[in-house]
Amino acid sequence: MIKKQLLKTPFIVFIIIVSIFFYLLIIDRNPSKIPSALINNYIPEFETNSLLKSEKFYSSQEFSKEITLVNFFATWCKPCRDEHTYIQSFQNEKGLNIVGINYKDNSEKAIQWLKKLGNPYSNIAIDNNGKIAIDWGVYGIPETFVVDSKGVIKFRHVGPITKKIYKEINLLIKELE
Amino acid sequence: MIMKKKFIKILLIFFFQFLINSSYAVEPDEILIDKKQEIMARNISKNIRCMVCQNQSIDESNAPLAKDLRILIRNKIKQGKTDKEIYKFLTDRYGDFILLKPPIKLITIALWFLPFVFVLIGFLIIYLHNKKSKKIN
Repeated sequence: MIKKQLLKTPFIVFIIIVSIFFYLLIIDRNPSKIPSALINNYIPEFETNSLLKSEKFYSSQEFSKEITLVNFFATWCKPCRDEHTYIQSFQNEKGLNIVGINYKDNSEKAIQWLKKLGNPYSNIAIDNNGKIAIDWGVYGIPETFVVDSKGVIKFRHVGPITKKIYKEINLLIKELE
Repeated sequence: MIMKKKFIKILLIFFFQFLINSSYAVEPDEILIDKKQEIMARNISKNIRCMVCQNQSIDESNAPLAKDLRILIRNKIKQGKTDKEIYKFLTDRYGDFILLKPPIKLITIALWFLPFVFVLIGFLIIYLHNKKSKKIN
């Protein structure tokens, strides 16, 4: 009797595996989405030149005062242009600081780009060689982070901000306040 | 006859192409002068995932980020950093996902050991099945 039941096990295991696969198929999940190693950690400190200001950009001065939205962007990146309207909408949010990090870009072009499309950033750091991006675990721009008022990273999104992500970030900001 | 020779030539070209294609994306200006250090860098690069392409190592990938990381690894080696320190630097920033081989941890135990469990179950079933059929005979 026991042996007979044992012979059924491959079939049962098969059914279990199929149902797990099916479950993973139907839930809203993006398998290429990678969790950030930096969530709930303090931001990686850095200092560099500022795109629009004459004084240097110190991360220690920009963060840990209020909730900060950090956006890695470049003029050569088309999706960055697409998400720009959403970044601008965040300006209406009270108590939210928006910091840009200009990734491997031509500074003059970046200044022109912001003149044309509008500048939602309170300060922009220049990341010439992509070192800052590596410290932040960035692998494809645009990327956006939400940092709380203590300087802890709470959220990370890879790729352009969509309506859905915009709402998600808005909710998170309200929660953090 | 001429056709056959041509055919063999083309075959040979394809064959050598394969040999060449199994090479890497490291560019000449990246290569370290110290051969030992270069081998160390290559070995580390082979285990590091290119986050952009996701199924290639940075040793094989032409993506700009892969190049940046190859140079970064070489700079760290020149500074005298060990393998462990370099892997830690990368996983601190990009998580375990940057390693092509997932490390054995509590959450990856199933991934590493379930195949062996399944093989054992398979053997058990074969054993029981044989025993049963012997009885019938």
